[in-house]
This record gives sequence, C-alpha cells and structure tokens, in this order.
Amino acid sequence: MITSTGSCGISAIAYALPEHRRSVRELDALGQLESDPAMLEQFGFGHVYVAEEETPYSLALAAATTLLRENAVSPASIDTLLYCGTPSVAFAPAGSASDASREIASTRRFQYPATRLQYDLALECASALAIDQLACTSLFSAVRIARALIETGEARRVLCVSAEFFPECAGREAIYNCTSDAACAVLIDDSAERNRILASAHVTKGYYWEGDARRNEIVASYFPTAKHVIAETLRRAEWRPEDVTWILPHNISIRSWEILLGLTGIARERLWCRNIARVGHTLAGDNFINLRDALEEGSVRPGDRLLLFSYGYGAHWTALALEA
Amino acid sequence: MPAQQSIFLTGATGFLGRETLTRLLAADPRLRAFVLVRDVGRWSQLERECGHGRVIPVQGDLCTDGLGLPPDVRARIANEVTTIVHLAANTTFSSPLDHARAVNTLGTRHVLEIAGDCASAAHVAYVSTAFVAGRRTGVIAEDGHSASAGWVNAYEQSKYEAEQLVKEHASSWVILRPSTVVCDDVGGQVTQMNAVHRALNLYRQGLVAMMPGVTGSTVDAVTTSYVADGIALLAMRDDAVGKTVHLCAGEGALRLDELLDITYARWATDPVWRNRGIVRPAITDLRTYALFERTIEEIADASLKRIARALSHFVPQLALPKVFDTTNAEALLGRTAPPVRDFWLPMLDHMLATQSAASSASSLARVA
Repeated sequence: MITSTGSCGISAIAYALPEHRRSVRELDALGQLESDPAMLEQFGFGHVYVAEEETPYSLALAAATTLLRENAVSPASIDTLLYCGTPSVAFAPAGSASDASREIASTRRFQYPATRLQYDLALECASALAIDQLACTSLFSAVRIARALIETGEARRVLCVSAEFFPECAGREAIYNCTSDAACAVLIDDSAERNRILASAHVTKGYYWEGDARRNEIVASYFPTAKHVIAETLRRAEWRPEDVTWILPHNISIRSWEILLGLTGIARERLWCRNIARVGHTLAGDNFINLRDALEEGSVRPGDRLLLFSYGYGAHWTALALEA
Repeated sequence: MPAQQSIFLTGATGFLGRETLTRLLAADPRLRAFVLVRDVGRWSQLERECGHGRVIPVQGDLCTDGLGLPPDVRARIANEVTTIVHLAANTTFSSPLDHARAVNTLGTRHVLEIAGDCASAAHVAYVSTAFVAGRRTGVIAEDGHSASAGWVNAYEQSKYEAEQLVKEHASSWVILRPSTVVCDDVGGQVTQMNAVHRALNLYRQGLVAMMPGVTGSTVDAVTTSYVADGIALLAMRDDAVGKTVHLCAGEGALRLDELLDITYARWATDPVWRNRGIVRPAITDLRTYALFERTIEEIADASLKRIARALSHFVPQLALPKVFDTTNAEALLGRTAPPVRDFWLPMLDHMLATQSAASSASSLARVA
C-alpha cells in the first residue's frame, strides 16, 4: 500500500459528457444491456450518456478547456499534464473503435492524445505523461502522482485529464453497472484553497488481472479490500468513520455501496449518490464529477471531510481523503 | 458385583459415536451395547475397530415407528437395556425444517418410545447441541431455554424440540450439549470434515467476502475426544440425572477476529497463497450480511450462490455472541474443555497437510 499526506489540493474540476442521453429502458431495447433493466434500476441506474459523434479526445479537450476557462487558469502556469485513457481509440468515434485499433500497426500509433492535448491547450510549459491500465482508478492515480510531484518539488500545478469510452460493440453494462462516456479534468495545485488532499491509499492485487476467470474471487475480495483501503485512508487522515461528511462514490450500484457502507460504519445518508441515476458510471471520472456537482449545488461546504473511493477492474482499490 | 448393564446406542456409525462407544466399553468390561444401525454391512466394518465382542448391532431406522426394529429385538432391548444413549442426528445445517425434524425430533420420539418399553424404564442420555440456544446472546446457562429468541437453522430448532420431548417423556435423563466439534483431539487431526472446515477452505480459496460478527464475537469449538469423554462419563452417572451439561469451550472460546488472524497467518506462511493478496473476510453486522447475501442471490453465478447459501445456515451465529456456561460440566467432569487456541493451529496444519497430500496424489495420478 502506498500512502502520503500533505497540503496540496484540487483547485478546479470540469467535465464533458456527450450530447446523447439514454435511459436504462432505451439501452435495453437497443440490446446494450446484459442484465434485467428492472434490476439495474433497482441498483440505482436511470440514464447514461452515449457518445455518437464525439471522440474520447474531443471530450477530453472540452473538459480541459472548460476547466481553464472557468477558472481563468493561464495555460502556461501548468507544468505537468497527466492524461488517462486508452490511446489507441482516443481519436475514434465510438462506432469505429475497432477500426482505430488497426492503426496500432502503423506509425500512427505514436499519435498520442496527451501530446496533442498539450498542444491544443497551449500548455507551453507542461511536460506530458500518460497513465493507463488502471481502469476506473486511473484519474485517482493521476491525482496521486500529481500530488507526489508537487510534494517533491517537481511540479507546482498539474492538470489531470481522463477520457473513457465504451465502444458501441461493448454495450453499456459493466458488471451490473450502466456506463457513460465522459471526460473529466482535475487541476492539482500546490496552493489550492479548497479540497486539500489529506491522505490517500491504494492497493493493487495482480492476482485478479484475469478478471473474467476470477469473477467469483473478485466479488469476494472487493468488499474486504475496499473496507481495508477506506479504513486505512481514514486512519491516515486521522478521521473516524463518523467524521466523514460526504462519501463521493464511483457511480456503481447503490446496493454495492450500501454493503460497503455497512462494512465501514459510515452512515448511508453520507453517500452523495445523485449522479448514479443521472449520469451512471463514467469509469475513471465519477468521483471527481460528483465532487464538482456536489460543490456546485452547495452540498459540500468549506471544511467538510470528503472521502472518495474507487475500484479499478484488474484490480486496484483506491481512496482519497479531502478537506473541502 | 453390580448387575450387568446394557445400553442402547444410536449414532454409533459416526466418528463421535464410535469414539463414545469405545470409551463406554473400556470403562465397564461387562457392559453390553445394542447399537442401532441402518446398514449392518457397514457396521461390520466399523465393529472391527471397536472390537470387544460385546456389541450387538440391530438394524433399524430412526425415522420409522418403533425404530423399525423387529418385535423380538424390541422385546430383548426392553428386557435388557438400562440406559439409552441417543446420539444419532441429522447435523446438516441446510436441511429444511421437516427433514431436520424427521430425524432429530421424530427420531427422538421413537427412541423415547423404546425407552418407555424398557422394564426398568431406561435412563436416557440425549446428545443435543449447545446451539439449541439459537439466537439468544450473552451467557447461556445450562438449564432450559425458552424458544422465544428463535433459531439460526432448522437443525438447532429440531434439536431444541427434541430436548423438550426428552424432558417430557423420559423418566430419567441427562442432556449433553456439545459445541461444534472441529477435530479429533488437541493434536488437530480431522477425521470428519464439517461445515467449519468447508468454510475455512472457502476462506483459503478467497471466496468468502464477509462474515457476520460483532465486537466480542467468539467461536466455541471442541474436540471429539473431549465430547466423547464427556458423554461416556456422564451418560450413566447418577449425579448427572436431570441435568443439562454444556460440553463446550466456554471461557476457552476464541475471539472471531483473533481466529481469523491466526488462520490468515497460518495460510500466509505459503508464499504462493500470500501472493494472491487474499484478505481476511470482513466482519459485519447481520443487516449488511443479509444485504450481501441478497445481492449474491440476484447477480452471482451458481457456484457463488451455493457458497453463500451454505454459509448462511450457520455463520449468522457469529453475530449472536454467546458464552456457554460450563458450570455443570466442570463440576461433573472435574475439568474444562481444551481452549480453542490449543487446537486451532494444529487443526489448520492438519487441513493443509491433508490438502497438500491430496494435491500431490492428484498430480501423480495426472502424470500416470
């Protein structure tokens, strides 16, 4: 387990969703679900966003541009860009993802979204890095790396951007969760006035790399490991479960969250779960999209103690403790 | 010279029954034992282990009126038997209530009918279970329980009902309530696997996400040796008549979290297992556990459902903390049961050694 404590924080968040939105029932009618839609609704899902014209890159650019514009951030002030997402399909519309993968066999494979984003955003002082293979925990990991760079003096302001799509052929369900296409941008500053990162914890278990073959073992390991990572994060933040003002979740089934809350001793009413029905599971962006919306609607107030937790298939468990 | 005693024993084909019979025969060189067996062929094999030549197998069935005994056999038992030791039971926690009652409750009624036949109104030693306490928590006295708290499974309920029958119909009785038997003796050998071992194996395979429990939950377990000693010593003791006796670890029970830690530490000595990153099952309240079970029922595949169902029939006991009072047992036996801590690790060692041997044999078979 990796951990750290410090004083940098999240100074801005922006996200971009595709134009089209579909209900669980519509997805079912389109053959995009594996499970009974009634059960998915019971698990809290309502609508998801589905890219048709957009590409992962176009949404990433939109999210990052919005972040810079809304917060009047000078592009030149950013010294590091961390991009999370699948490079091979980054420029492909959802329906043609399989065609895009053929480009891996040519020099076009070196056309990376991270460097293009650096250019398109005019981040003239930023070096670009990409993070991959962390599934739904990739943006968390970007934030952790950003924090580490800041705390070691390697960076002062880091822009983390994630863009995740489900290609059309993949359907809209991942292990009983309804998925949205989305991009999210998070700015990590050494002098953030809000959302100070107090503690983090991350566990990787390589044994579960072969997810389909170990489905039952993953179900069994998910909860106790999640409990452990949350407990460890709370311990490092020197919080008790009752100190948590809000849990900002990854938007998986509410049922799963209710079980995890029962295990961790955090009250059900502390779960900020409005976006599970409204947006669904955007893979890497959920917790930060939720933080932005919770701040915007005034649910989160200065000084609130926020716990963000996510799980990445493959398998990673990760959590952050923030002071709003 | 005292008159020759004859007993009628049910459950002699099980490991605990065999151990009990061996002790009873060893304690009284003149004792004769009628043993109820469903399959005389199977008994012949076992008899060689018990030896003594003072054992008379009688073919019958606990679930049948009059135990299905022929009239002449029943008459002989009525004439000769002075004590009945009723040990046979359906111990499958997942049995539906009617199945559990058919063996445990109705079977006991049939045994009591035989006891009533006996010329000297046979004394009945009924081997029950400490878990007739069901959903009750706290210190569980050895005296009678009320049924108001309910039970975790049909096994517990049917054994409770059988106890009531014994108290109501036997003219002389002792009720012996063992806790969960997990190994033969403090050496840790496991001759008879049960639900506890299956649950431990699931934990080792990384298939147990959580267990119900609360702060202070303990696991009470005993050895076959302690229980068989207790039954053999108390079945015919005058000063035990009319008493209920907990054959339990009592204060020697092990805390659930400590037990899971000891188990984890033992398995983690294997670097291959440790590298999988399997974690200790989370301990949670019954509500959360029930929600997890419900979710598994709704979404999981058949094998995970089977696992959850198998565990659901007994693990809820872990969230109903209880300490079995052993005052009667200690007074009558003059000793306490071995603490669980003394045999848990040797038992795990034995399980691992057995699995390792089985795995090697399987590998050799594949090579061959």
